[in-house]
Amino acid sequence: MCLGIPMQIVAIDGYNARCTAKGVMRDVSLFLLQDEPLAVNDYVIVHVGYAIQKMTEQEAHSTWELLDEMLALEAGEADAAESS
Amino acid sequence: MTLTAQDWLDKIRALPPTRRVRIMNVCGGHERSITMAGLRTALPANIELIPGPGCPVCVCPEEDVYQAMQLALRANVVLVAFGDMLRVPVNVAKGEPRSLEQAKAAGADVRPIASPREAVLIARQHPQRQVVFFAAGFETTTAPVAAMLLEGVPENLFVLLSGRLTWPAVAMLLDSDTPGFDALVAPGHVATIMGPEEWAFVVEKHHMPAAVAGFTPLSLLAATYSVLRQLLEGECFLDNCYPEVVRPGGNRTAQAQLMQALHIVDANWRGIGIIPASGYALNAQFAAHDARIRFADFDTAARKHAGQMPPGCDCARVVLGRIYPNQCKLYGAACTPRTPIGPCMVSDEGACRIWWAGGIRERATGTVPP
Ligand code: SF4
Repeated sequence: MCLGIPMQIVAIDGYNARCTAKGVMRDVSLFLLQDEPLAVNDYVIVHVGYAIQKMTEQEAHSTWELLDEMLALEAGEADAAESS
Repeated sequence: MTLTAQDWLDKIRALPPTRRVRIMNVCGGHERSITMAGLRTALPANIELIPGPGCPVCVCPEEDVYQAMQLALRANVVLVAFGDMLRVPVNVAKGEPRSLEQAKAAGADVRPIASPREAVLIARQHPQRQVVFFAAGFETTTAPVAAMLLEGVPENLFVLLSGRLTWPAVAMLLDSDTPGFDALVAPGHVATIMGPEEWAFVVEKHHMPAAVAGFTPLSLLAATYSVLRQLLEGECFLDNCYPEVVRPGGNRTAQAQLMQALHIVDANWRGIGIIPASGYALNAQFAAHDARIRFADFDTAARKHAGQMPPGCDCARVVLGRIYPNQCKLYGAACTPRTPIGPCMVSDEGACRIWWAGGIRERATGTVPP
């Protein structure tokens, strides 16, 4: 649950931001980062719908890779469990 | 030059051999990465990675789940909770609903949500209903709940809060006669919010190596290398292997919001007992939204096994890192993700579920840790 997903800010409206991660769009709250200067194109780490910290583009990409790998592994495991 | 995960593995393997070293992590996300990336088998055999208290759903009081179910069964209530709370079992007589999911099957309006913001939305959509948000989580999840309250919630939204702090459980283990580990990998996103300094006590008071890690195998291996080096050199310090996101002092805005909406209380951990100053409760200012104040307690003293783990389930010892998941007698036998007996097999952050998802099918014989 505490894993958090990196997202890129597409638009900001007050404490709300439209964010994207690999083509998926989500509304994200910036309330916990209200003292942080944030701009469109910045990357944030999002946990249960709230941005909890800024992150670099590079860090965002390596975390996405990790999430992809884990999802693939778990899908594989699920298949194995189904067929066994 | 930036190091790859393989470089870190090579560096770890090149260290002079040591005695058995047990490194505890206290984060379901860490455990998931370790298990899925196969780090245990990649590391030298004397290095053991032990999953510790890293699953807030697993230690959510049985009484709280029971209370949430009783509220959910009331006609006017919509009960919302993070998804993995729904299958957590309570101890009731045969035939009664054992989880929120079963309460739902019995007619209760129970809805999984992924964000506190959804709780607000649902309350706005149903002004005539009472919406109860059952919120279990560590600091990373509790801070958004605080933010939700401070941003303003509808009158008909009530929070049943089972928020927990992570470090007091580690402090409790370290203060005991047998902590069961030699080094700590501290949780990256808890430290993102609360600041890495929260973990300084491990080093300063207990002279034990510690490193904050992120969730990539790279970061986890860097932290593993760091604590091993600290052990070898006999000099420990709190390392930060996730500096991209974990800043000195943490997210002070989030900390201020936590303290503005909530206060810290002694709290019960399922199967473990009360840990001093380890839980969050709503401040008086939000009493009108506090489900613990707004609704009566439905629990009865007569209920059997109230507060305990399900009979036969060894989750409490799994959570404390006293045994590995597959040392529970029920692991993979009576208990699998499809037919979970205890919360550690239900929650995505539970070590039993993670190990099963990671393909570990064998039960271990004997007792490995302490
Ligand atoms: S395997 Fe099942 S019964 Fe055993 S500790 Fe884990 S959750 Fe509990």
